[in-house]
Amino acid sequence: MRFGAFFLIALPIAAQHGRYVSESQHPAIGDPKAIAAGAKLYALSCPGCHGPDGSGGRGPNLVKRSLWHPLRDEAIFSAIRNGVPGTDMPPTKLPEDQTWNLVAFLHALIGPASENNVPGDAASGEQVFWGNKAGCSNCHSIRGKGGRMGPDLTNIGGSSPLAVIKESVLEPSKDLMFLGNEGATVTLKSGKIVKGVARNRDNYSLQMIDEGGELHLLSMADVNELKILDHSLMPGDYRQRLSQDELRDLLAYLSRQVARPKGTIRKANNS
Amino acid sequence: MTRFALTVLFVSACASAQVSFEDISKGPSEDWLTYAGSYPGWRYSPLRQITPSNAKLMSAKWVYRVPDARGLRMSPLVYKGVMYATNTNAVYAIDARSGRLVWQYRDVRAKGGGVNRGAAILGDRVYFTSSDNYLTALDRRSGALIFSRQFADVEKGTTSTSAPLIVKDKVIVGSAGGDSGMRGFIAALSAANGDEIWRTWTVPAKGEPGSETWSGFAEWGGGATWLSGTFDRETNTLYWTTGNPWPDFAGAPRLGDNLYTCSLLALDLDTGKWKWHFQFTPHDTHDWDAQSWPILLDMEFRGRMRKVVLHANRNGFFYVLDRITGEFLRGTQLIDKVTWASGIDDKGRPVLIPGKDPTPEGNWVCPSVKGATNWMGQSYNPMTGLLYVLTLEQCGMYNSSSQEPVPMKNFAGGGATEEGGQVLLRAIDPKTAKRAWEYPMTGAGRMWTGTVSTAGGVVFTGDDDGQMLALDAKTGKLLWHFNMSETLTASPITYAVDGKQYVAIASATAIFSFGLFEPAEPLTPPKVTLGK
Ligand code: HEC
Ligand code: HEC
Repeated sequence: MRFGAFFLIALPIAAQHGRYVSESQHPAIGDPKAIAAGAKLYALSCPGCHGPDGSGGRGPNLVKRSLWHPLRDEAIFSAIRNGVPGTDMPPTKLPEDQTWNLVAFLHALIGPASENNVPGDAASGEQVFWGNKAGCSNCHSIRGKGGRMGPDLTNIGGSSPLAVIKESVLEPSKDLMFLGNEGATVTLKSGKIVKGVARNRDNYSLQMIDEGGELHLLSMADVNELKILDHSLMPGDYRQRLSQDELRDLLAYLSRQVARPKGTIRKANNS
Repeated sequence: MTRFALTVLFVSACASAQVSFEDISKGPSEDWLTYAGSYPGWRYSPLRQITPSNAKLMSAKWVYRVPDARGLRMSPLVYKGVMYATNTNAVYAIDARSGRLVWQYRDVRAKGGGVNRGAAILGDRVYFTSSDNYLTALDRRSGALIFSRQFADVEKGTTSTSAPLIVKDKVIVGSAGGDSGMRGFIAALSAANGDEIWRTWTVPAKGEPGSETWSGFAEWGGGATWLSGTFDRETNTLYWTTGNPWPDFAGAPRLGDNLYTCSLLALDLDTGKWKWHFQFTPHDTHDWDAQSWPILLDMEFRGRMRKVVLHANRNGFFYVLDRITGEFLRGTQLIDKVTWASGIDDKGRPVLIPGKDPTPEGNWVCPSVKGATNWMGQSYNPMTGLLYVLTLEQCGMYNSSSQEPVPMKNFAGGGATEEGGQVLLRAIDPKTAKRAWEYPMTGAGRMWTGTVSTAGGVVFTGDDDGQMLALDAKTGKLLWHFNMSETLTASPITYAVDGKQYVAIASATAIFSFGLFEPAEPLTPPKVTLGK
């Protein structure tokens, strides 16, 4: 899933997953009041099966869907109202307006994290990100600062839903599509060793970015051995390394990272 | 331990190579660092591996298919073995030896389509502009976003298509959209953070000098600046061309010369202040933007060394101006068939032939709306002393309309069609304006390919049938051709990696890179272990 996100950093989530379609004109969609009301309803009866952030459990992950049929606001509405017959998904029989509140909430949950008011102290999260304990900025950059081996996070809040960001941080090796993100160790015929991420490779050439963020454009004719790792180069122990609060704040910080924050559109003085 | 190692590496990485103003000033080498290759705009490379005697051994090295591309107009950059290519709202970093993608940046949030002509590079940053007028800076190694700042409002009819020009600490950007009403400008933005340093409008506001040359419509008068310009280091001067007045084909609502459209502007780099201007086509009614390269050259002219600027114009004439003063020195016919003016007088004004404006029933005028030449990159080769210009011998029908012009409704005040015609690559001696040779092409008169020429004595260009060509720079003799099978609308470059020279050009949908033929080396695949 993250294959696309890595290269196409500015792609909105709808395009990334390719299966969430929203053409809905219903006024509840995007309405903060409806979303807040929907959040309450959701917390009341859905987390048991879909997880508090939609990341799944007994029921499917609503944010990173594995189902093929496209999910429209109308389809969410119908699933909530009528349930999915023959499965564990129960009908709610909620009134129409409350059902739309739930749809509005799910819509927001599936959308970019920046469009939701993700809880936590973003300022503390900033310190976690740039601090040594987490070391995120050794590998990741935001607005030109930080490391270059991992994906740029300047627009992570503007492009990914919270549940996806959270999973990337806590379980980097889970569900990882490696292409473009492969951790790799190369031994050249000269004896030189390069460690980093293989941004691209085939039988004839290899494009690597090393731990220091430098590019290596290699010909496979010069390579003695190439080892592709079975896990992400991103540390997998953040659940242990960071406290609950640090994690919450870090996610609040990441959720607010948007390449083009709203309200920065220039009104040129074109008299 | 790991973190310590990372920090050390990071520090050494920062100390590693960066593109400086000096590097760009030196002009092409193995690298190609600015759209036209060098500040004087020569598209000339000192590479000499490919010569008239071995060009017959050229072959395709790789092809990179640019996602979603339809009519690429982009001229790529190369730095340290990485090629930076653009398409609308997208940048691709490509391994320049293998054609494999290193990273890509796609800004799908950007509104609008249109073309993109290329990127710019400085320090460790690659810059490009989006169709909705954001200047975006990316890390050259990772494609990571450094900043993205908007410099103009789409709602005012302005879009952005040109490759930025980087000079010292400034990114110079232009404005497009002049065929549907807008007000053109050139702006200098900070390379550090995109802050605006200055902005110079190309059409005067009410009351400003030049505004008396508009009976109306000045506020939407066009004068777009959709091609990058050139730069004279000695005098710290930018040379930038401006586009047509709007409405394109309707002259009556905007009587007067319509300054400063269809002009060449000389601006101070630090302040954007006007040094001089020269208008090629006063009161243009044929959409003859002045967008073609202002080429800077020191040459002998009438027995005296002069600092000149050469300009092969869409209106059918080839100009030489003094680039310090803007003084008109010479204007001669660029193509054989020009029917709207009988020549250029000694002030530099066209001597009009009456009755050549667009009419409701259509008026047949030469050159056509595509112009005698256009924005395709010309090249000047100091070894041969020749300027290589793609020219189009074509006439066309110009229609006017009595509809009320409405800005941003894409109403150009009429229309134009063209028919037949022929593309010829012409080698012109700028001292005499005489043609040294010409290479006529077959085709439908649809191409917009430029040229690059080398110290090796070869001119590379594309033809009107989608073939890539190598010609002898001295004689125009055809040395080699390769069928790319698509209409060519981009200009080639040349670069080198590991001592091997390449020539690259974009077709409509892909980038091709060529070099001298080498037999394939047998490759024993290395040991690859997959952990997954
Ligand atoms: C008892 C467990 C359970 C509960 C409680 C539950 N769901 Fe579901 N839900 C499921 C299962 C299982 C599915 C998958 C059905 C299928 O196989 O297509 C599902 C499917 C869905 C879908 C369709 C997802 C898709 O990708 O097509 C939506 C939307 C949904 N649930 C929303 C909710 C909401 C909102 C609530 C709370 C009001 C809720 N669910 C409560 C188990 C549950
Ligand atoms: C040693 C290097 C390294 C460190 C340290 C590191 N990461 Fe990563 N990170 C990576 C790499 C490589 C990837 C891409 C492969 C993957 O998705 O796991 C990645 C992926 C991610 C992604 C997914 C990006 C996307 O575009 O989908 C996020 C979010 C992320 N990291 C956040 C963090 C945060 C937050 C920290 C600190 C708590 C951190 N990383 C620490 C290397 C690192």
